[in-house]
Amino acid sequence: MTISGVSGRTSYIGSGILDLRSQLDTLTKQLSSGKIADTYAGLGSGRSMSIALRSQLSTVAAYADTATNLNTRIGVANLSLQRLVKIGSEVKGAAVSAGGNFDNTGQTPGQKTASLDFFDSVDMLNARSGDRYLFSGRATDTAPVAPADQIMNGNGAAIAGLKQVIAERNTADLGVNKNGRVGTAIGTPTTSVVIAEEDATPAPPQAAQPFGMKASAISTTIVGATVTQPVDLPATVPPAPPATPVAKSMSIDLNGNVPKVGDQVKVTFTMPDGTKEDIVLTASDKTPLPANSFAIGQADPAAVPPVSASEATAKNLNTALGSAMKDLANGPMVAASAIEAGENFFDQPPLRVGSTPAGAATTLVAGDATNTVIWYHGEQNTAANGAARGSSVSQIDTSITVQYGARADEQALRNQLQTVAVFAAVAVVANKLSDANYAKNANAQIAALSQRVAKNLADVPGQQSVENIQADFAGAQAAIKSTTDRQVQTKAMAQTMLDGIEGINNDEVATKILALQTALQASYQTTSTLYQMSLVKFL
Amino acid sequence: MSLNTALSIAMAGLRANQAGLALVSSNVANAETPGYIRKATDQVAVNAGDGSSVRTIGVNRELDQYILAQLRTEMSGAGYATLKSSYLQQMQGLYGNPGSVGSLEYSFNALTTAVQALSTSADSSSARIGVINAAKTLAQQLNSMTQGIQNLRAGAETGIKDSVTTANNLMKQIATINNQLTANPLGGTSTDANTASLLDRRDMYINQLSQLMDIRVTTNGANQVSVFTGSGVQLVGNEAATLRFDAQGTVSAGTTWSSDPSKSALGSVMVDLPNGGSINLTATGAIKSGTIAAYTELRDKTLVEAQNQLDQFAASISSALSDKTTVSPAPVAPATAYGLDASKLLSGNTINLTYTDAATGKQQQITLMRVDSPDALPLKDTATANPNDKVIGIDFSQGITGILSQINGALGGSVTFSGTSLSSLSVTNNPAFATINTLSTTVTKPPGTLADGSTEFSLFTDNGSAYSGGISASGSQITGLAGRISVNAGVVADPSKLVAYDTNILSGDTKRSSFMLNQLTNASFTYGAQTGTGSTNAPFTGNLLSYMRQFVSQQGAAADAAKQLSDGQNVVLNTLDKKMADTSGVNMDDEMAHLLALQNAYSANARVMSTVNELYKSLMQAF
Repeated sequence: MTISGVSGRTSYIGSGILDLRSQLDTLTKQLSSGKIADTYAGLGSGRSMSIALRSQLSTVAAYADTATNLNTRIGVANLSLQRLVKIGSEVKGAAVSAGGNFDNTGQTPGQKTASLDFFDSVDMLNARSGDRYLFSGRATDTAPVAPADQIMNGNGAAIAGLKQVIAERNTADLGVNKNGRVGTAIGTPTTSVVIAEEDATPAPPQAAQPFGMKASAISTTIVGATVTQPVDLPATVPPAPPATPVAKSMSIDLNGNVPKVGDQVKVTFTMPDGTKEDIVLTASDKTPLPANSFAIGQADPAAVPPVSASEATAKNLNTALGSAMKDLANGPMVAASAIEAGENFFDQPPLRVGSTPAGAATTLVAGDATNTVIWYHGEQNTAANGAARGSSVSQIDTSITVQYGARADEQALRNQLQTVAVFAAVAVVANKLSDANYAKNANAQIAALSQRVAKNLADVPGQQSVENIQADFAGAQAAIKSTTDRQVQTKAMAQTMLDGIEGINNDEVATKILALQTALQASYQTTSTLYQMSLVKFL
Repeated sequence: MSLNTALSIAMAGLRANQAGLALVSSNVANAETPGYIRKATDQVAVNAGDGSSVRTIGVNRELDQYILAQLRTEMSGAGYATLKSSYLQQMQGLYGNPGSVGSLEYSFNALTTAVQALSTSADSSSARIGVINAAKTLAQQLNSMTQGIQNLRAGAETGIKDSVTTANNLMKQIATINNQLTANPLGGTSTDANTASLLDRRDMYINQLSQLMDIRVTTNGANQVSVFTGSGVQLVGNEAATLRFDAQGTVSAGTTWSSDPSKSALGSVMVDLPNGGSINLTATGAIKSGTIAAYTELRDKTLVEAQNQLDQFAASISSALSDKTTVSPAPVAPATAYGLDASKLLSGNTINLTYTDAATGKQQQITLMRVDSPDALPLKDTATANPNDKVIGIDFSQGITGILSQINGALGGSVTFSGTSLSSLSVTNNPAFATINTLSTTVTKPPGTLADGSTEFSLFTDNGSAYSGGISASGSQITGLAGRISVNAGVVADPSKLVAYDTNILSGDTKRSSFMLNQLTNASFTYGAQTGTGSTNAPFTGNLLSYMRQFVSQQGAAADAAKQLSDGQNVVLNTLDKKMADTSGVNMDDEMAHLLALQNAYSANARVMSTVNELYKSLMQAF
């Protein structure tokens, strides 16, 4: 090897050494960064794969964030649902065992429980995870349920709450005569008793006015008596004009017969909430007359005009029926009215008694936020908005989505909230309880209400229950869990592959550095020695 | 008398030794001078009476012409390879540290992650702002990469200018030396020391010139060199031609080189011939190697392609979110006409028609593309990335009658468009010729239309206006888009628009965010052949990530390959350099040995003279 200079054209001497140096620099950089290169060029043929792998890792990380978020949300929603399930059984239990012991506020202990649970329910439905309301459907920034106190008592004088709606409906259902808008009278012939509604019912398809009790059916065991069932007008068939509305009625005609002791007359009414209540009167010859009986009449030929036994019985029946119907109207019908008022209030939009005075009203009209508290502000649970679960959809993997949305106005949630609210809202006037008649009606009301509350809180096969929603959430959580488990493995594999492409083996690099160091030292030494060995030195 | 002869021969010997010593000293002194070729005395024995005297007739340059020629070729190659590699390595810097902040993939992954977060928490204002920020970062990343690429192109433009100036200097020097050699009274082939040093310098200038461009060198009998370009244009003879380069001040994605000087926005290397003509070396591709060729290739091809890749990426990501394709439903009998709304088409948006030709039974894909000026017509089929369609440009600056007659004229009666308003056209086929298979429009949502009920919206804009891929006489909208792409100011001002695709959309609605996520991560697009990722007939098709993988790794591979080529070329050059130094360079040991020999010879000659002197003395004293 000829060494003839150190610069300019003799750069090739240094070039070997420089090459070694730059290799050493590269290796040192690799050792400090843990990466094989800091450019795509340096990554080698795996560079394209490395981009895909990093993207996959980034996606998995994003999915992991989503999964964490979702687990929290579903967890919070589940806690609410658990509490709601408990409230449901608590209130149902309280309603079943309801005694008629009114306290000074006019409510039973069961109702007190319901009142507390109602406030709790509203809180549960307004549950949030972070800033997100979980029972608002897609309206995640809106508290789904109005404040419990507003729902109960209204928002100021102008905006009615549930209690006011129940009271109005109660007045409307009772009617001006406080009889549930049905009356009874001796018909023609005078051996008959006619039970007639006070308001005329138009021909279908037009609906009857919504208030009060409706004549439903009549039957009797009296031999020879005939009953006439209430009938609808024939349906209007255009272009024929609709038939003139008539008040619906049903009747019983003894046809001159006299009932035997123990014969029964059964009259059935449909309550405002759609339930049916029967009045069963038994013929009796006892004095005084037992409850739920009518006296078998005696002929009075001396009267002018003469009165037959059958006519006298009809008269007694009419009186007994009138009294029983009044009791029905002021007892169980009040409870049914409250249940129906709850239904009206929790409808979207809420339905209000259409005119004042309420007793004479014959229509329900839609209320709005200016006159009625709107209990639900979230996304409406309508077919147009899709299933409630679908209102929150998240992708947890490339092609896996979970649905975990919920709306407070889903049937199960609304039904429970509504029932608990009505139970909590109804109260009798405590200081009137000393009046025996009022106390009797109050007891009948609360018994009927408790019975209805218990029934409405029971699970009905084929209808959504709160447990169904919990099951949906559990399914979503299971899907998240299995996806997350798989992603953890995917991530590990991708990371291993990526390390294979862009990572370094520390031992290998260290060994290379040692080898290079040796080579470099040897080169420096040799070069220096070669420069010493020139003839110039020996002349 | 022979003593005189001996004396004069000894004198001649001393002179020759002195000349030799002078050369040794000059060799030693110039050992490190670039371009210096080792010299040796050229001496001959001349008849002088009974003996032979010696005469130094000149100096020999110990030059291996073959190695020199090879060296020059490799110098061009190395100049080309080194420069290209250096530029591509710089460009790798633009693509960033793989996977780290500042790399394109990082920005893109950050955007998809942010959109994923948005579709999990659409109501969260921080998730919304997260998407905006990620989108801004991606846009800025594309902007700055474009800036970087265009700076490199500007660097290449300046580089050509500098190279041309240097080349002109070198060529002038070569011509000057040619003339000096002619002026030498001893002739150009003289071996005097002066000539030798001129030759050294000329060779060095030619070597330097060969780094700039590939040249061919011929030497004639009078030691005159002629320098030609690789393709045969003479650059230097007795006179030097002048290279001219009209450098342009600003280089942007829109400035492109064209062989037609009136259309070219970038400089060309011209050679002005002594006879007055000029040749455009860039247009004729005459320079194939050396730094000028590397600069030209980088400026007009490599960097342009890199820019095209980014522009296509920007265009795809923008259109992915903003373009809505509406399929016209097939007419239900007894109706026979398809309905079509062409009123919302922006320049570059298309009406897509597929029909089966009754005669051939083959499906025809026709793309009717809106243009806004007749100057842009006709369009090439490559106006869309789809390789199977026939693209027909329709000038929308004309009224509806004009538009319909253009369309119907182009379709030749197979399918007829009619109507009085662009918003409700009827399209019927002539059953004898064709049956319509599908009919649809692809429309870009303008930046201002953010909540019209469709999930598509302009998250990205072309510097504030819609990117719809329009084509005009001056070029395509896609050119340089990566440098102009920005996040829609309307969305920045109101991030809720990331969720609210219509009025009265609830804040937790994930329809639009899910759409975005799907478009960014799953949806497949076709990318134009100008990106170098596919061909015109088989364009690259895939989702945005796979396209990005494709071009980023392609650039990485190109830079890697360029570096290997450059390393290889430099090894060859080093080897030749060493060979050259071995044969033509100064070897100090040789020189020292030579010095010893000369010293001894000088002493010997002096001894001859002193002996002759003594002989004369004896002779004189004898009388």
